[in-house]
Amino acid sequence: MRLVFREDRFFLVLSVFIGIFAGLSVVCFRFAIAWCRIYLLGSGATLTPLRMVLAPSLAGLFIAVLVIHVFPLARGSGVNQTKAALYIYNGYIPLRTAVGKFITAALAIGSGHSLGPEDPSLQIGASLASALGRRMRLSRDRMRLIAPVGAAAGLAAAFNAPISAVLFVIEEVIGRWTAGILGSVVLSAVSSVVVMRWFLGSESMFRIPAVQMERPSELIAYSVLGIVGGLASVAFSSGIATLRPWCKALPRWTQYFQPAIAGLLIGIIAVLGAPQVMGAGYVYIDEAMHGQFTWQMLAILAGLKIIATLLSFVSGTPGGMFAPTLFIGAMLGAAVGGAEHVLFPHLSGSPGTYALVGMGVLFAGFLRAPMTSVFMVLEVSGNYSIILPVLIANTFAYLISRGLQPTAIFDVLTRQDGLELPSMEEQREEGTLRVEDAMRPASRAVLDTVLEAHDSLDQVLQRWDAKLPEVRLVRLDPTGWSIITRQALEIMVKEGKGNLTLGSALSGRQILFLHPDNPLETALRYVDRWPLLPVVNRADFRKLEGVISQQDVLQRYQLFGEEEGTPE
Amino acid sequence: MPEQEGNAQATAGNKRDFRRYLRREAVILALLSALAVIFFVAVTALSHIYEAQQEFLGNRWFLRGAADLKQSHFESAVTEFRAALLYERDSYTYQLNLAEALVGLKRTAEAYAYFINLWDREPENGLVNLELARIAAQKGETEQALRYYHNAIYATWPGDQQVQRRDTRLELIEYLLNIDAKAHAQAELIALAANLEDDPVQQSRVGDLFLQAQDYEHALGEYRLSLKAEPHDPTALAGAGFSAFQLGRYSLAESYLQAAVSANPNDAQSAARLRTAALVMQMDPFQRQISVALRDRIVLKAFAAAGQRLESCSSAGAAKGPATIPVAQPGLTEEWAKMKPRITELGLRRDPDLVNTAMELVFSIERQTSNACGAASETDAALLLIAKLHESN
Repeated sequence: MRLVFREDRFFLVLSVFIGIFAGLSVVCFRFAIAWCRIYLLGSGATLTPLRMVLAPSLAGLFIAVLVIHVFPLARGSGVNQTKAALYIYNGYIPLRTAVGKFITAALAIGSGHSLGPEDPSLQIGASLASALGRRMRLSRDRMRLIAPVGAAAGLAAAFNAPISAVLFVIEEVIGRWTAGILGSVVLSAVSSVVVMRWFLGSESMFRIPAVQMERPSELIAYSVLGIVGGLASVAFSSGIATLRPWCKALPRWTQYFQPAIAGLLIGIIAVLGAPQVMGAGYVYIDEAMHGQFTWQMLAILAGLKIIATLLSFVSGTPGGMFAPTLFIGAMLGAAVGGAEHVLFPHLSGSPGTYALVGMGVLFAGFLRAPMTSVFMVLEVSGNYSIILPVLIANTFAYLISRGLQPTAIFDVLTRQDGLELPSMEEQREEGTLRVEDAMRPASRAVLDTVLEAHDSLDQVLQRWDAKLPEVRLVRLDPTGWSIITRQALEIMVKEGKGNLTLGSALSGRQILFLHPDNPLETALRYVDRWPLLPVVNRADFRKLEGVISQQDVLQRYQLFGEEEGTPE
Repeated sequence: MPEQEGNAQATAGNKRDFRRYLRREAVILALLSALAVIFFVAVTALSHIYEAQQEFLGNRWFLRGAADLKQSHFESAVTEFRAALLYERDSYTYQLNLAEALVGLKRTAEAYAYFINLWDREPENGLVNLELARIAAQKGETEQALRYYHNAIYATWPGDQQVQRRDTRLELIEYLLNIDAKAHAQAELIALAANLEDDPVQQSRVGDLFLQAQDYEHALGEYRLSLKAEPHDPTALAGAGFSAFQLGRYSLAESYLQAAVSANPNDAQSAARLRTAALVMQMDPFQRQISVALRDRIVLKAFAAAGQRLESCSSAGAAKGPATIPVAQPGLTEEWAKMKPRITELGLRRDPDLVNTAMELVFSIERQTSNACGAASETDAALLLIAKLHESN
């Protein structure tokens, strides 16, 4: 017991170290991206056309060789790999993956591929944590949890937003809330952010504009943004869902050229007038928030960024989708806000407010992380007054995205990779069977069979005719329930206890009772111990709501299995 | 008994395990701490290299931007300052210069976004407040503009604070005059004048502003101060002449305007005012130290001029149609005609009160015809000014 307790505490301490190491790694990762950018694309704000075309193409070739021959697990964003480590590989992620991800993603983002550093940071954190856990020879349970702890640390440092990182990892990777996990995840996220801020400062990735909303009627404008964002999310995720398997199905030799071709096309987009689509694009999110583009240009940038990110991601170039999602959301938000301002000049929301809400909208619609999407905007903006627009817009985007594309993007990617990981969205929305779904309601016929504690055994036996069931419930005083069979009653009467009341005869034989809202799993634990269980009201334990037996439970599960198996 | 021994052995074994575990845990923590320190030191070294490079690149782009800004190449300056900000995103100087370049490109909304962020960081910065005031003024947000202008006046400025504050106040006054807030402008001007050094150019400029604010007394004062140092400055002379003219001090006005016209013969406005002032002096029968005969002659002349004005105004009204021209009251014509036989040198000498009665009628005629028929001859204008002068007296 003492050992277990100490291991718990040790795991918490280890989480702090994981956070420190992840934070330091993410700082190095950021340096690496910046250096790649300077040496591959140049140090100025405007890029030369030659570099814009050559840098992502040549880097793409090099990355493809590295991914195919040296770091095969570095492909993709890294979120699903971390989830797979938790559910399939007992927390195992090779350290080589972290090294590979670091090198290839830094090259890709630094050379202008339309990808972000957050998901790779998440995987680097998870991989470091896994390596550390293996060295510590942690138990299997701890090992499974250590990858998400590292993931939260990596994401928090990359995003400079510990709350969002913790929520995302719990919402999308772990899928459940327990105090033990939460403590470790929070500690690692906080320590990594502290380390990151030590080196890179605490300022946000973009300057946060003043948030304005003068009239509640303006929520309609944000609802429109939610609808547009939902549709854009569907277009984005459908594009990935369709093109990724197509690219993977191409002959193997083409995989050497896919990132290069993607890079070339992105370079051409940049040369043709939209260099903003290259790289993570935080600088341009900042500019969009401060009204530095027209709404038409913002809409074009959102569309082009979707195309550029599709190209980079489906070609298998390592890199994340968080930053592009935020970019598309910000551009789309500011564009919708700008267009609405043209139509309705009295609207008070600034482009920055719409851009901020837009980021949350894409997060909810594309990544399908509804809680993270809300807290992310709150954490990034540091302004609580934005909550209503965010809630409204995110809800619309989430519902539209779910309605048009039932499977979330991370689950689509997992299934395309031939893995079957638990879908957090499906789990959240999975129907739970309850006692009320299986019980026989307390109809007149059922209530007539209930015996009262004050009845004497003789009286009960006399009135127990052949039509009544063999087992009957007894309501005890002041509360509590018991059961009695006809056979047991006859034996008691023969033993000369006929004068006794049911209450005194059954005083030591109380049985458990259930409530209608208890999960059916709970009933399953008890129904084999007693042939019949009472289901009673939560406010009045003497009031019978129904009865349930083992047969009722099994029948309901059988029916549920048939419903689930029926194709729609 | 053997059972008890077994239990004791198990407990001892557990304790050993626990101690071993504790030792292992301590070693691991020590190793992890050492590793963290090594990693931290390594990243610190890397960070120094990174920061040095970022600083170098940022500075290089900033210097290029500053050079372009100086030459008003705003487009290139914006690009270069943006590049500088890639390396030092939080730099106050880079952001301020970028915002200035954006103002140069007339991209006010973008510039405003930067200025407002800079203001959040340093609300006491004079330049930021001034730029915000200008943007607010452009947007027509008077209250905000005034707030930022006042902030700027009392803010911290690099270099000569007094000069910067004075210039800011001057700009505020010009803004107030533009929005026709004359009373507010006068208050600011008085404050400005109190802190003005002996600089004739500034004094003359402040005099001009007082003129615009229609505070002629203070304007005259400032011009006089300016003329002490620069007695032949044509602008100050013209301003002083105009101020005196507006104050009804025509004799003084005449002398200043005379000097102004001598200093700058091309100053047509001053020349016209000088003529008017001279006429006022000539046509005023109530001025002191003139003989009775001269006074009577002036009255005769004024009476005749009023009659002519009445006639020309009536005929102009008739020509343009009765529906359109609000001609002077017909009673005035009758009154003038009735009085005319009495207005002779002899009549005026016999009845000194007739001077006042005649001039009252002259003033009435000039006022009403001025309202009905607009601009008049120089004599009529002079008579109107004399009317105003005696009205206020």
